[in-house]
Amino acid sequence: MPKVRIDNETYEFEGRPKLLQFCLDIGVELPHFCYHPSMSVPANCRQCLVRVGTPARDRGTGEMQVDEAGNPVIQYFPKLQTSCSLEITDGMVVETHRSSEEVAGAQKDNLEFLLINHPLDCPICDQAGHCPLQIQAYKYGPEGSRFEFDKVHKPKHIRLGPRVVLDGERCINCTRCTRYTSEVSGSHQLTIIERGVRNYPMTPPGTEFDEPYSMNVIDICPVGALTSADFRFKARIWEMSKTPSITVANAKGSNCYYWVKDNLVMKVTPRQNMDVNEYWLADEDRLDYERFNKDRPAGPMINGSAAGWDAAYGEAARLLSSVDPSEVLFIGSPFATVEDNYLLTKLADSLGSPAPQYIRHVEIGKGDDWLITDEKAPNHQGCERLGMSEIDAEIAAARIQTGEIKLVYVLEEDPVVAGVLSASDMDAVKVILHPYNVTNETLHGANVVLPAATIVETVGTFVNIDGHAQRVRPAKAIRGVNRTLVMEMGESRADRHGTPFDRWHNETNLVDCQPGWVSLPEVAERLDIEMAYKGPRQVMEEVAGTVDAFQGATYEAMGLEGVRLMEIGAAV
Amino acid sequence: MAESGHGKVVKLPDRDPKPAFSKEDLVFASEEKKRIAGFVEEYEKPDGAIMKALWLAQEKFGFLHPDVIQLVADEVGIPYAQAYGVATFYTQYYKNKTGKYVLDVCTCFSCQVCGGYDILHYLEEKLEIHKGETTDDGLFTIQEVECLGACGSAPMLQVTNGPYVHHLTREKVDALVDALQNGQMPSFTSITLPQDEDEMGGNRRTDVDKTEAYRTPPVAETVE
Repeated sequence: MPKVRIDNETYEFEGRPKLLQFCLDIGVELPHFCYHPSMSVPANCRQCLVRVGTPARDRGTGEMQVDEAGNPVIQYFPKLQTSCSLEITDGMVVETHRSSEEVAGAQKDNLEFLLINHPLDCPICDQAGHCPLQIQAYKYGPEGSRFEFDKVHKPKHIRLGPRVVLDGERCINCTRCTRYTSEVSGSHQLTIIERGVRNYPMTPPGTEFDEPYSMNVIDICPVGALTSADFRFKARIWEMSKTPSITVANAKGSNCYYWVKDNLVMKVTPRQNMDVNEYWLADEDRLDYERFNKDRPAGPMINGSAAGWDAAYGEAARLLSSVDPSEVLFIGSPFATVEDNYLLTKLADSLGSPAPQYIRHVEIGKGDDWLITDEKAPNHQGCERLGMSEIDAEIAAARIQTGEIKLVYVLEEDPVVAGVLSASDMDAVKVILHPYNVTNETLHGANVVLPAATIVETVGTFVNIDGHAQRVRPAKAIRGVNRTLVMEMGESRADRHGTPFDRWHNETNLVDCQPGWVSLPEVAERLDIEMAYKGPRQVMEEVAGTVDAFQGATYEAMGLEGVRLMEIGAAV
Repeated sequence: MAESGHGKVVKLPDRDPKPAFSKEDLVFASEEKKRIAGFVEEYEKPDGAIMKALWLAQEKFGFLHPDVIQLVADEVGIPYAQAYGVATFYTQYYKNKTGKYVLDVCTCFSCQVCGGYDILHYLEEKLEIHKGETTDDGLFTIQEVECLGACGSAPMLQVTNGPYVHHLTREKVDALVDALQNGQMPSFTSITLPQDEDEMGGNRRTDVDKTEAYRTPPVAETVE
């Protein structure tokens, strides 16, 4: 196998990798700004310079030249090379800043150049703390600058589009954003205008940067030039905890991080998963977090007045046992986890009621071939795979009106909005509801309200539109103590390194709600139904072991990147 | 570019400009379309044709209003943003309405030493405008430009992206302005190198009538 020597360590390589990507893959860090693995390589930031040599060969015979000791003679390129654009060849010798003073000096000088006109106001910059330019300037850059004259000032806080704000003078013209619009999203909405010290990215006159994936440029921007109109100046990066999870605005299940401060979700950023969303996230996924923070219920309720959890569970059980099991309509939810839907199925089964059905949320024409789907709920695949069928709103409504159904048990859904229940029916029929928000229109007539934990407060499994089963983790705490949630909770830097006094975990904004895998067994217990699980992990183990369509979907197997399940037809 | 006490300030372009041409005017004739199609064919990708097409549009419309750039981009078949980026990169593409004649006075290093600023200021006083401005009669625009690559015949200027005028003196500027007012563009002249004249036995160029002999440039008044 061909070999390359980097800083006197020999590595084997396959194929024809580029040097920078190879170094990053093997864990040799090289500073860089413009390079991004999913886009073309312009080599314009000049930060990843290395010293490179190749074995000298005899011009006539093509044989490798060796010195007296028998080692190959290395001919170095006369100038330093950009490692991002250089293809590795057999026998290549590479010196990075770790072994070559020349390279370290070049990187230092390059940073001095990049900072000539860059404002040094990191303390008021939104990117500070996770800024590649800041980090690398500290790590590899000069202590001061020899360019002691007035900086060139460029336009600031320009709204490039409805969701992205530009600060022209922070830009180092790496062209990641313009390459993103031309090579990845294909919207061609950004370009670098002007030249020399006067250039920065811009939309051409009369247009806006409003594509449905525009906010990805904020993440790939290696400086604070492009920031989110929604998030900027709301929180510092080190004040938030970051939890790996998935988004739920559509059925793609794009991998993301939820950033939480004071038990409020502040922003959503993409998490790399080459099987699902690669490096990207749709804007609708990023802006879909207010419902985790706002309009949350105050706690359980019985017939419109506040109640304790115990009383509410008891009332739910009493209502369930007061009607004939065949008169109960269980409504599952494509917003809820597989675990919760499975427990609901089990509850219905144990009672002898018909299997739960679920409400489908489709907006035809909303989807594209990329990360936005027509499906507007994250887990309809999970419901399907559990054997739940789609509810026919008209038939269900008719059955309710004729009195055929006397009790509706709703898991994390809104049947009034879906047309299954109408407000006038709610007097005749009893309703038990697990809502996320008080905006849930079924809430007003519900007899028992058991507030449900949202995706950012629970542990569970979602199956995306392609059959990719993925785990969600709690990003923010709920009121009350739950060992499983605490164990799975994301941490902030203060949690890991701070004193007990500056933990992010505090008592503000806690919502009094419970995950389905807590509340459903509580209700079951009061009906003398056996549903004792140690937690969602055990529930999912049972699902993976007993339901063919979930074969292999254990928590261990899903890990951070999920597992691709067999197609429904193939598994059954 | 406005100069201020806090260094240079780069201005934001007008992001919502008023139209400068009516819809009827903002079209290419079939002949022009054919020429642009020809440019596109010359290159592997349509991107390559954008500069020639922009040039054609500038000759037709006088300057490259964003609407014109959009028109060119559509005709060439590349994104508007990319065409706009190219148009703003080159100073020879005029993004704003200019006078009939644009006088690009070089004040880069060589010309500066040889009196580039003397010429620029004389021209500004003579036409009663500042650099970057256009005379009221719409005839002249003065621009201060960087090196045009004719240091040997400094100080010099270029007329409307066209012919160079070398060895400038105040008299020569007067004559140039007079000629332009009468609609006479200066003719192309090139400067012969000393070795053409001395070491190689006289001017051996085939276009002798269009040449002017090299001579040692003057020294700027301010330098003296």
